[in-house]
Amino acid sequence: MKLVGIAGTVEDKSYNRMLLEFIANHFSGLVDIEILSIDDLPMFDQDNDVTNSGAVQYLNRKISNADGVIIATPEHNHTITAALKSALEWLSFKVHPFSDKPVMIVGASYYEQGSSRAQLNLRQILEAPGVNAIVFPGNEFLLANVKEAFDDDGNLKDEKTVAFLQSNLQKFKKFVKVINSMNKAAGGTDEAAQAEDLDATGKISTTVEGVDMTADDWVEQAAKKVNAVDGKTYVKLDRGLLTVDQLNYFLNSMPIELTYADSNNQFIYYNKMGGKMLAPRTPGQVGDPLSKVHPKRAIRGVKSVIHALRTGKTDMVSMPVPGNGPDKYIMHYYKAMHDEKGEYVGINEFVLDLIPIIKWYLKKTGQKLTADPNNKVDADASASTKDDSSTDADASASVDDDAADTSANVDTDASASVDENDESTTTNDSKGKDDGGSDATASASVEDWD
Amino acid sequence: MNKYIGIVGTNTQRSTNRQLLQFMERHYQDQAEIELVEVAGLPMFNKPADRVIPDRAAEIGKKIDESDGVIISTPEYDHAVPAVLMNALEWLSYGIHPFLDKPVMIIGASFGSLGTSRAQAHLRQMLDAPELGARIMPSSEYLLGHVLEAFDKDGNLNDQGRIDRLDALFADFEEFVKISKELWHTTEYDKQEISKLDKTDFGSN
Repeated sequence: MKLVGIAGTVEDKSYNRMLLEFIANHFSGLVDIEILSIDDLPMFDQDNDVTNSGAVQYLNRKISNADGVIIATPEHNHTITAALKSALEWLSFKVHPFSDKPVMIVGASYYEQGSSRAQLNLRQILEAPGVNAIVFPGNEFLLANVKEAFDDDGNLKDEKTVAFLQSNLQKFKKFVKVINSMNKAAGGTDEAAQAEDLDATGKISTTVEGVDMTADDWVEQAAKKVNAVDGKTYVKLDRGLLTVDQLNYFLNSMPIELTYADSNNQFIYYNKMGGKMLAPRTPGQVGDPLSKVHPKRAIRGVKSVIHALRTGKTDMVSMPVPGNGPDKYIMHYYKAMHDEKGEYVGINEFVLDLIPIIKWYLKKTGQKLTADPNNKVDADASASTKDDSSTDADASASVDDDAADTSANVDTDASASVDENDESTTTNDSKGKDDGGSDATASASVEDWD
Repeated sequence: MNKYIGIVGTNTQRSTNRQLLQFMERHYQDQAEIELVEVAGLPMFNKPADRVIPDRAAEIGKKIDESDGVIISTPEYDHAVPAVLMNALEWLSYGIHPFLDKPVMIIGASFGSLGTSRAQAHLRQMLDAPELGARIMPSSEYLLGHVLEAFDKDGNLNDQGRIDRLDALFADFEEFVKISKELWHTTEYDKQEISKLDKTDFGSN
């Protein structure tokens, strides 16, 4: 198990760093701890973003790759140091290495309090949506009167204190395992999946270059750029010949909502249904990278889904949206698309409400739905098919990849809690993090194809 | 007329918290003088053993010391006060203690609906630390949520209800500043306590 330790201070001499060093040395048989420095970070300033600097990226990389983190915090003015807070602000602005990371807090102070208030405050900060760490509950380690606590070799003098620390560490090790296996089950630590580039910064043969993907009129601009045909021009299809107009009539009258995301993770088409859509899209969204049309919290789940489709782990992912009741059962299906050579070319997402179909079938055949006595799904899951039994109804919540969700989420009270920042970048960045859905549920959808 | 220092709790150029203080500066100019002070640009607090604090921190400390009270407007980052404001408060409690017994009013503005509620509670906790020892006006949150819609093009609050609430709070603050002058009985003890803390901080070990 690989842990990293951060002493929450930039002082030359720090008892908290000393405490971390003691933990790293004394318990080296128990855990492998690498101590990281926050000395080189400038004060957080959203106007002067240094996220890409070596100092921030070093911490980002080290923390991301660690199984867990131990933070030793001093207490200044009843709270953590500005230096530590600033580091956490950098690590929750454009990058989020603490997300879902198990974190243990320890602290040392000159006086009786042993950094008690700072530890509570740090807990609160770590649990803010932008940081999103999983803080080890209970097991507070408060080292008071620290000036007398160490011997000349930097070892803690009091045996009981050492024993208590050891028992905390052993429990934290288990906690790390549990949290990380939970994340893994949720697809969270699947590195290959997480490498999916939802910002669509890559290029495939059909990518239209030189047009701002996020522009509201991306379709118009991109069409002009490639001299796209429209109207009465004929298009030869695999087995058929239609004009562009005819193709539109045909697609727009589909009784399902269709969305095309290409293999570069760019959202490039939806069949404009008009009226109230089950998964609303807006014309300006077409062309956007997939990162832009999903709430932040859903990103990991989305990556897992795309990765599974891209790698052929599954051919289709099916997800009921939350809130399905007896009158409505909306499904999102993500179907991998392949070219004639079998190469992955993107996702065909289709959305439909199953209930009218079920009702029609029951009516026509004179049948009715009854509960299956052998069903293991709880009764609330209603007219469940076998598919549902693998995931609870909430499971799909945040993978629900419709853009409307993003805006809906932003309006909830929950989201408001994050964006007390002054600047819109941070705000937007963290806004998504605090939407109604939750990560765990997002990626639980991976279960769908297990 | 009382003179107040308005501390902008952020280093960003486009700050709605600064805007809120600027509005107060204009809006109350007939009642009080409010001087805005920026906390950006101070070096990261590292508890220097030589006790030397930056000139800029000393200058801010002097302004606070000479004022009748302080108004702090804080954003909220990660459910807490921004590091840049925390850093300023660390310098302003290291060997100098300009906040000691100084009346303080806390306000804050945010994009979302919560209006920095957590950051304000956090700031209260900090200002209560013995090295700061401020007299924070009790029961007086001013949470300006949805701030992007809160100002008109001239930078004035556009909702009369919100202005009335701020007026009432400011009137209370002026009273609180008066009353605070009567709260002197613990001052000597506080000073002794602080000087003990300073000795520990600056001790040879």
